[in-house]
Amino acid sequence: MLEVVRPGLQTTVQDAGRRARALGVPGGGAADPLALRLANALVGNPPQAPALEVTLAGPTLRFHADALVALWGAPFDAALDGQPFPLGRALPVRAGQTLALGGTRRGARAVLAVRGGLEGQPALGSRATDLRSGFGGMEGRALRAGDHLAWAPLPPAAPPRAFLSPALCTATGPQVTLRVLPTSEATPDLLAALTGQPFTVGGQTDRMGARLTEAVSAPHDPARVSLPNVPGGVQLPPDGRPILLLPDAGTHGGYPTPLVVASADLPVLGQLRAGDRVTFREVTLRQAHAALRQQERDVRQAEAALRRWYAKHTEPYTERT
Amino acid sequence: MTGPDIEPLGDAALVVRSPLAAALLADLTARPLPGVREAVPALNVLTVLYDPLTSGPASLAADLRARLAQLRPKQVEKARTHVLPVTFDGPDLMWCAAHTGRGVPDFIAALCATPLEVAFLGFTPGFAFLTGLPPALQMPRLATPRERVPAGSVALGGPWAGVYPRETPGGWRLVGRTQVTLFDLQRPEPVLWRAGDRVRFEVAGA
Repeated sequence: MLEVVRPGLQTTVQDAGRRARALGVPGGGAADPLALRLANALVGNPPQAPALEVTLAGPTLRFHADALVALWGAPFDAALDGQPFPLGRALPVRAGQTLALGGTRRGARAVLAVRGGLEGQPALGSRATDLRSGFGGMEGRALRAGDHLAWAPLPPAAPPRAFLSPALCTATGPQVTLRVLPTSEATPDLLAALTGQPFTVGGQTDRMGARLTEAVSAPHDPARVSLPNVPGGVQLPPDGRPILLLPDAGTHGGYPTPLVVASADLPVLGQLRAGDRVTFREVTLRQAHAALRQQERDVRQAEAALRRWYAKHTEPYTERT
Repeated sequence: MTGPDIEPLGDAALVVRSPLAAALLADLTARPLPGVREAVPALNVLTVLYDPLTSGPASLAADLRARLAQLRPKQVEKARTHVLPVTFDGPDLMWCAAHTGRGVPDFIAALCATPLEVAFLGFTPGFAFLTGLPPALQMPRLATPRERVPAGSVALGGPWAGVYPRETPGGWRLVGRTQVTLFDLQRPEPVLWRAGDRVRFEVAGA
């Protein structure tokens, strides 16, 4: 069991999300899904195990039982009973100790995984918190001071001594390039306008979307019907300021969507913060798939190495009375 | 690569445009295609989200085409009818009635006499796009959406009717409200309705 002493700006339970868009339910899940996978791998969890997603200012957590935890994602300051707590490494926390996360200089989010996986309310096949609809995770809301979270038991294991390579960390600002694929709604003029200048991430940025502040000339099409949204869709509302769709975006939208961010760069969206500068770079379908395969090879290599460690270094599980 | 009726949307989705979209969704639900993560319907559109690591868009498009070639329009025998009691007291009710050139009682009677159908679900959990409004009852959307539409609001927007399952922003014209719970995770089927279901409004307490 862990206790929330201070909740941080927005700390939620997230996993790999749900697949119920056909019912109008957003995909949800960790905004930086690679951070979730790798934080889980560090503590020997399955890739989609529920963990804490922390945002901009992290929580302070008191542990009431021994645990093995790992933090991965944006470079948050963290301290365990006042001693620096490094990213990208699994470390034991003893009952009674306090883990305090601070802020981050770049990026927006990190994932704190606990060996065994956090418990959370299941809803439609996932324990991810959907803040807007108010279900999943901790009563469908962000953590509050005084909340208690449990995790599932797993056999104790010696933590790997290795650190994750910084190369596996999702890119963070202040300057980011997003690879994009044009859709049939991208006219040549619109494509030129969207790829010809950097955009600034505005203050209206949350788990549903990141609003950019510079406007392009938007096509006005009141007759456009509502169509299914896809992750990473770049919507263009009538005011011409693009919106990048994040995991909690609504399932359908009526605005033109001239670009879609390449799958390999979706984790980068989860790291955008106000003031970051975003440049869109057009790629082909083939290039986008090649980039995703390369990224997946690197991540799976790290996951496999950590799995091998845990296979060797896990103590046989004995029920304690 | 994919022809006019199936086109890529980003690197992990294909958009299928076909009058058979609803039937294709039912078919993919019954007989999943490998590599397909989920399929999301809209009106005569099905967006198929796939895993690019296990599925290629060209072969997936070919598979979807083969499925389409075998399908017939969705059979209606499974359709249920939901009768929704509505209290007609929405802030836009008088405006809507005037827009149709009717008095309020006439307008309500015409709306309740209209058989509607769930075209597809989307927007928020439990929201249904209800089709079947005759042109005379179709309303232009608000120029500026309301920031908060109360849960249960019955609304008209463009060719659609709808009921807001929970408080959200919304740009449709509000004519009334219903007490029916559209989304409840405690129910075996959390969402009240499915695509193809029939819907009728009736005056609450009448």
